[in-house]
Amino acid sequence: MSGKASSSQPTVRLSGSGGLSHVYIQYPPLRCNISGSRGLFYDDGNKLLHSPTSDRVFSWKTVPFSSLADPISDLISEGPILSIRYSLDEKFIAVQRSNHDIQFWHRETGETFSQRCRSESESILGFFWTDCPLCDIVFVKTSGLDFFAYNSESKLLHLVETRKLNVSWYVYTHESRLVLLASGMQCKTFNGFQLSSMGIIRLPRFEMAMAKPEADSKPVLAAEDIFIITVYGRIYCVQVDRVAMLLHLYRFYRDAVVQQGSLPIYSSRISVSVVDNVLLVHQVDAKVVILYDIFADSQAPISAPLPLLLRDLRRYNSSASQSGREDCESSEANIVSENEATIYGDDWTFLVPDLICDAANKILWKIHLDLEAISASSSEMPSVLEFLQRRKLEVKKAKQLCLAMARTVILERRPVAMVARAMDVLVTSYSHSIKMGSYLKGIKSEKALPSTATYVGSPSSAADTTASRMGVLGRSAKHESAASADSEHFNRTSTFSTSDTEENASFEPPKTNPSDIQSVDSRMDVGANVQTSSSQHHLLGASNTPLDANVSEQQEELTSPAIAPDEMYGFVFTPVEEEMVGDPSYLVAIIVEFLHSANSEKIKVHPNLYVLTIQLLARNERYTELGLFVINKILEPSKEVALQLLESGRQNIQTRKLGLDMLRQLSLHHDYVLFLVQDGYYLEALRYARKYKVNTVRPSLFLEAAYASNDSQRLAAVLRFFSDFIPGFQNTSDHNTYYRILNEMSSSIAGHCF
Amino acid sequence: MGLSSASTATEAIKLCIFDLRRGQQEGQELDKILFFFPADLPFSTQLSVIGLSEGLITFTRIFSPEAACELIEAERHSHVFYEAEPDIWMVMIVEKNESEAIWRIAALQKVLKEVHSLFLMFHGSIRALLEKEPAGGLIRAHLHPFMMDYLRDFLFGKKLLLPSFRDCLKECGTVQMLNVSREAAIEVQSLVRLLESCAGSSPCYSLILFQDLLVSTTLSPVDTINLFTYAVLRLTPRTISSGVSSWSYLRKGSTGSSVTAGYTLAHSASVPDQYYCLPDTSPSGDNNYHVVRPLKRDRWSKAKDGFLVTDIWSAEAGSSTSATPTIWLQQTEERMYLCAYQFRSLTLILVVPVASILNGEQLVSLVKQQVLENASLKMLKVEEKLSKGWGGENAYHVSGYRYLLVDVDRNVSRASPPGKVTTLTKDQVLRTVIVKGPKVGRLFPLQFSIPKVVSLACTTTANVNEVWHKKF
Repeated sequence: MSGKASSSQPTVRLSGSGGLSHVYIQYPPLRCNISGSRGLFYDDGNKLLHSPTSDRVFSWKTVPFSSLADPISDLISEGPILSIRYSLDEKFIAVQRSNHDIQFWHRETGETFSQRCRSESESILGFFWTDCPLCDIVFVKTSGLDFFAYNSESKLLHLVETRKLNVSWYVYTHESRLVLLASGMQCKTFNGFQLSSMGIIRLPRFEMAMAKPEADSKPVLAAEDIFIITVYGRIYCVQVDRVAMLLHLYRFYRDAVVQQGSLPIYSSRISVSVVDNVLLVHQVDAKVVILYDIFADSQAPISAPLPLLLRDLRRYNSSASQSGREDCESSEANIVSENEATIYGDDWTFLVPDLICDAANKILWKIHLDLEAISASSSEMPSVLEFLQRRKLEVKKAKQLCLAMARTVILERRPVAMVARAMDVLVTSYSHSIKMGSYLKGIKSEKALPSTATYVGSPSSAADTTASRMGVLGRSAKHESAASADSEHFNRTSTFSTSDTEENASFEPPKTNPSDIQSVDSRMDVGANVQTSSSQHHLLGASNTPLDANVSEQQEELTSPAIAPDEMYGFVFTPVEEEMVGDPSYLVAIIVEFLHSANSEKIKVHPNLYVLTIQLLARNERYTELGLFVINKILEPSKEVALQLLESGRQNIQTRKLGLDMLRQLSLHHDYVLFLVQDGYYLEALRYARKYKVNTVRPSLFLEAAYASNDSQRLAAVLRFFSDFIPGFQNTSDHNTYYRILNEMSSSIAGHCF
Repeated sequence: MGLSSASTATEAIKLCIFDLRRGQQEGQELDKILFFFPADLPFSTQLSVIGLSEGLITFTRIFSPEAACELIEAERHSHVFYEAEPDIWMVMIVEKNESEAIWRIAALQKVLKEVHSLFLMFHGSIRALLEKEPAGGLIRAHLHPFMMDYLRDFLFGKKLLLPSFRDCLKECGTVQMLNVSREAAIEVQSLVRLLESCAGSSPCYSLILFQDLLVSTTLSPVDTINLFTYAVLRLTPRTISSGVSSWSYLRKGSTGSSVTAGYTLAHSASVPDQYYCLPDTSPSGDNNYHVVRPLKRDRWSKAKDGFLVTDIWSAEAGSSTSATPTIWLQQTEERMYLCAYQFRSLTLILVVPVASILNGEQLVSLVKQQVLENASLKMLKVEEKLSKGWGGENAYHVSGYRYLLVDVDRNVSRASPPGKVTTLTKDQVLRTVIVKGPKVGRLFPLQFSIPKVVSLACTTTANVNEVWHKKF
């Protein structure tokens, strides 16, 4: 129930256009409208978008993506511009002026020099900067590759190496560091080089498959039909075969190129994007996008083809009061014009990996995955969880969705086998992230930031913003909870979802990692954080547990959506246990499956989960099973477990004894002695205390207990024990008091007898 | 069982069940007798045994109304008393034998208790059956075959021989557990949960055995003991494959066929197999009762699909009840279907409530289908895991020792494996008990919870019985 609330409800509310989709672009876009602009150039090495005018070049950072990004500008001299790329250290600007020369500026000194082709017969197809140790910049020419290094003394480029090849056209992406050079009549023969920081790797020459429309015709492969994509750190090449209407996938290895199957296409114009390692195949004519998660062998799409959605702010503003960026937006008074809103317009260019440039309107969109919609569209829970666990971009949201789904699936009492598979997915993913170190990294940085206050990273009057927002947000949270009982209900059970909803509302752009957060973002982060904590206070009040507080801290630090066993306990089992009605044996079955997965991955489980298991079993009076769980160490011994056994054992003596034994075996002598006394085994407790030198239990405790039993013999025995074994006991007040009491007791008995 | 001696004398053991509330009038004394072994003793002898017992019970009740007489130690006999139900007594008379050591009286009482518990599980209480037919024919018709089926395991010719502690070490009323690793235990629990879900919404219990050892149970302790006892007697792979009960297996040299022959000799061959009624003692002797004989030997077999089948229950021709085995749970007083599945060494017992919309056959076949569909893979895995961790029949042997450990709290016991018990000579056995005390902790950590508590306020006195014998 709560899971549904989080996964579907906010989506519906936020999808302003009301359409169903799995991928969206978020309004507002980045506007790159500079008067006198001569076009837009994307520099994927530095993730910059350049817009040159006659004497300047304006550049916008696209990572992190923000529509508020201000351009930086550099002076350049006038002239034709075929392409612009900044050097990777951003010290130089390189502008291709013609097919024969490239001009360079030193940004600080303004010095300039040019590099020309040596012969007129060859022409420059393009160039790119590289972090390869051998050279700094590579020219791609019709006659092959030229590798140049910058010489800081001569302040000129000098040729390091040349590779002679016939090149018709080329494709390069900086994220793959791979350049593919097409040659041949049909341009389907490829030479590839990877210029990584490790050096230059030459790939074996290979041919791409192309179907022939007729026997004698030979279609020519165009540069637009080839895409290099990077997914899960693997490099693929995607080739559009227009005749066969197929998308061929090639995977690159150091020494081989392997075709990995084909995907069907439904449009003559195809483009691909990669968002968070998910391959998006835009069927431009059909105006739909199909998602593929090329992780396993399966080449089935994640979901049905659905349109790309433009998320519109205005409609949302009218439907719910929101702060955050609202004021900024309204001041800009931007409206999405009709042509701006044209999805898959003719002027759209898809940039690597996840940007769309609308050249006509001079705007840049960033493509987002709607994880909620994707997870809501599939009933195959374990595979959805696997998908979510692989997400790296919207880690927080993926994690929240996973937790919500885990809760839902248990509350809906789905078949145990299915939930077991889901648990296995989560545990395996966590174990994997531990091994890869990504989870611990997140935790470590979380610990470095002990409170939300430290998040105030923005240099500008952060306290001010915080204070002013508190009020607004408090109100908005209240408004929301009043508006829908569902969300209020959910807020009560988990603060995760609170922050989830809020985060959606504030249009916070997703972050790749904490270091990327720049000033613009950090201001919004403060907002988001305050929002979370304030609404938490609002809804939870004093019941806000430390665990919840941790959540808001963790949010910005997560690097993996993996869910630790502690979090499984805190955000899945505990809330589910509170909400679940009826027979708890189903939940026990789920916990057993969870332990099963955790055990096979050798992951330690939070002792509180064991405590919960004991409570559930004891509630059903299934003491026999409880005994088996303890004896077989399914519930690993710990002090918490022992104390819960003693507590649950009030109704069942065997269970209580298991608890006592566990205390003894854990060498928790102090507690063991206390419980022995509590159960009335004074002498045993004393003997044990003496044997294991437990000095922490006060003698008066024994004496009081013995006195309370109203048995003078017991009191005498205890008193005697202390007199014999504790030197100087006879002089203490305890001794005197109880000696007197003992005398009174025995005299009264004596008096009674006679 | 730790019974201390085997008896060789004729008529060494007598066993009777009688009801103090019946036959109070002179001339109706025979009414009291519900069961007597050996049945061919003259009534006068039977009555004199019961008369003595009754007299002692009445006398001792004056001093101890709650717990009357437990034992009479006569010069040549010991009379062991057990009040199975209010005013229904079971008395066992064993002959003392000069050359042999003393009987362990508690162990004999536990035999009586065990057979009564089993009776309760299959037929309900004796009193209830008496109330159903006050004449007593019904209860006698039930008791006799039931008791005889039980005793048949100990019958040699006409003689009833209880195994001595030299033959085997066993404590009635306890279960023997398999030591499992955490990994296997989780796997087992996962299977248990899966089985639970097989019966749909109705509460269903399960019991899992590996060989003759208990692995898991979701039943209450008392029902666990009963069902475990029954499973070891009649259901485990060993009893099914060899056709002999565990007792006979333990007693070397004895074969099932001779025992069966002994039984048929002892009783008139004319008595029909399924319909047993006492010829003389029952006033309504001409009635024929449909009596289910769950302890009857060699009636369980493994079907092709892995489920254990029997014709014991289907014998009730023409009756409305189904052929599916049923038992009474003592804890919840519910009538349940019994459904057993066997895979290699793994025996799996499912207990499904009778009170259900579906009729028995449908429900049970549905459950069976569910089990086969959902759990077979898991069972395979569990069996594999358990077999891997299982050290074989002599896994729990402690070389140089024979031992019997009982954890009274949890009704768990462990003893030297049967194959190793008999390797001691008589002298060695009799001479010494070398250790008494909590030796266990070292051997089986956490397997037995031994309270070392003997103090002034101790409410439970020494509740662990252990005997360690040193081999020389």
